[in-house]
Amino acid sequence: MNALRRQRITRVAVAALLLAPAMAIIGLGFVAPLLRLAVLSVSAPAGPLAAYRELATVDVYRIVLRNTVVLALVVSAASLAIGFALALALTRLEAGWRAAVFACVVLPLWISVLVRTFSWMLILESNGPLNRFLVALGIVDHPLPLLFAFPGVAIGMVHVLLPYAVLPIYAALSRIDPALLRASDGLGASRATTFRRVLLPLSARGLATAATFTFLLSLGFFVTPALLGGPSDTTISMLIDSFVNERLDWPLAAAASMALLAMGLAVIGLAGRFVPVSALSEVR
Amino acid sequence: MTGAWTKAFAALLAAAIVMPVLAVAPLAFSEQSFLVLPPRTWSLRWWSVFFADASWLRALLTSLEVAALSCLLSVAAGTSAALGLQALGPRARALATGLFLGPMVAPVIVLAVGLYALARSFGLVGSTLGLVLAHTMLALPYVVLNVGVSVAALDPRLALAASGLGAGPGRVFRTVTWPAILPGVMGGGVFAFVTSFDEVVLAVFLAGPSVKTLPVRIWEEVRTEYTPVVAVAATIMIILAVIGSAMGRFATRRSA
Repeated sequence: MNALRRQRITRVAVAALLLAPAMAIIGLGFVAPLLRLAVLSVSAPAGPLAAYRELATVDVYRIVLRNTVVLALVVSAASLAIGFALALALTRLEAGWRAAVFACVVLPLWISVLVRTFSWMLILESNGPLNRFLVALGIVDHPLPLLFAFPGVAIGMVHVLLPYAVLPIYAALSRIDPALLRASDGLGASRATTFRRVLLPLSARGLATAATFTFLLSLGFFVTPALLGGPSDTTISMLIDSFVNERLDWPLAAAASMALLAMGLAVIGLAGRFVPVSALSEVR
Repeated sequence: MTGAWTKAFAALLAAAIVMPVLAVAPLAFSEQSFLVLPPRTWSLRWWSVFFADASWLRALLTSLEVAALSCLLSVAAGTSAALGLQALGPRARALATGLFLGPMVAPVIVLAVGLYALARSFGLVGSTLGLVLAHTMLALPYVVLNVGVSVAALDPRLALAASGLGAGPGRVFRTVTWPAILPGVMGGGVFAFVTSFDEVVLAVFLAGPSVKTLPVRIWEEVRTEYTPVVAVAATIMIILAVIGSAMGRFATRRSA
């Protein structure tokens, strides 16, 4: 009995020792900065809640907040739609093709978002290849204002988010027994009915995971909207940056950070029961 | 017939995903001094400009140094943590894992501003140490999860058998545990290196005049006026990332 207890104590001590370095890093590099921001956010000279009140009442900030959510909804929806189509195509390809397309889907994850965004700046320019292509085909008369505007931000973000949508949806779709699809077909269901009554419900979990990932990530985007957007495409992240680097208003920056963090936590809290957030790491 | 359409659709989307990533590379070999795709004349002049410019070279070396150091630190701490998690009860393990995953889901700007606020009070802004610690924190979840997969796949009876046959704890680790988790450690290490090498937002906030990583230099150039040297820098980043992804695939294949 005594030996057993001693063994247990040793085991806990060993575990604590093994966890200590990582805990120290997370404590210093993750928990401490967030606590510092929490304290800063209530340290405005005008009172503890002044910074939060300013964020909630000044029109410009409210517009930025709304823009961020609208942008996140639009790019998540687009990523889900394109991601579903691509995932479905992946399940129907033969092995060699599937491996090749898969490699294309995950390759961008290894390349810095900054480099990818810079590439998009060159492509979306008014005399860039995309606009020249559209003009040459006669689809548009004049180059479209894609760069430094909403379409540019949306295109750039969907491009970054696509793998986070494709992979969970593909995982769900590839688990569906093909016999079910054949059965639905054999019983006379149209393609649309099979899609609605078989494919969609059976991949709901993957779709929910993809929706959570893309929405969660898109709320906090900084590099892509900062480089591809115009003045009216400011996101909360960019607002936080300008509070720190231009207005030098730390309480306001901290309060906006807390608001952004709270939005993310709300998404995780709402979706967390259905979606394993840890699966986010499996994407790369 | 459906097969052909599916192939065409998948190929088109795959091209739309990959081409924008690689579009910048041809410009690194352009002759012109302005960035227009596709370049009309070719040369290596911007590569010589890059390698003749001390500030670009220093940025590349800083990036490699920071990535190597944070890779080492996060692999050491993360591997140790993954082994420690295994010894915890289910509830404590879930709690600790949740904490370790935090840096992966928190908005990066929030982490950047928080770290900047903290680093300012400790005089760590513009220091290699500050950058390395920040990137170690960011890379840690990838190591913990990657090694965790290898640890979970390890049959605990092997270690029991080894110690039953008289091996001490050190020998059990060296001959049983370590070889089994090595692929996870390598995979985690590659992720950690690339995570640091690619990272820009934390680096922009924590960088200083003498300590700038390659992404920070690119960021500064892109936000003002830029020349094809930026395309060279971006191409170098792509080359290193592709090498990383190949190594990562190799490591995970061995673990599978």
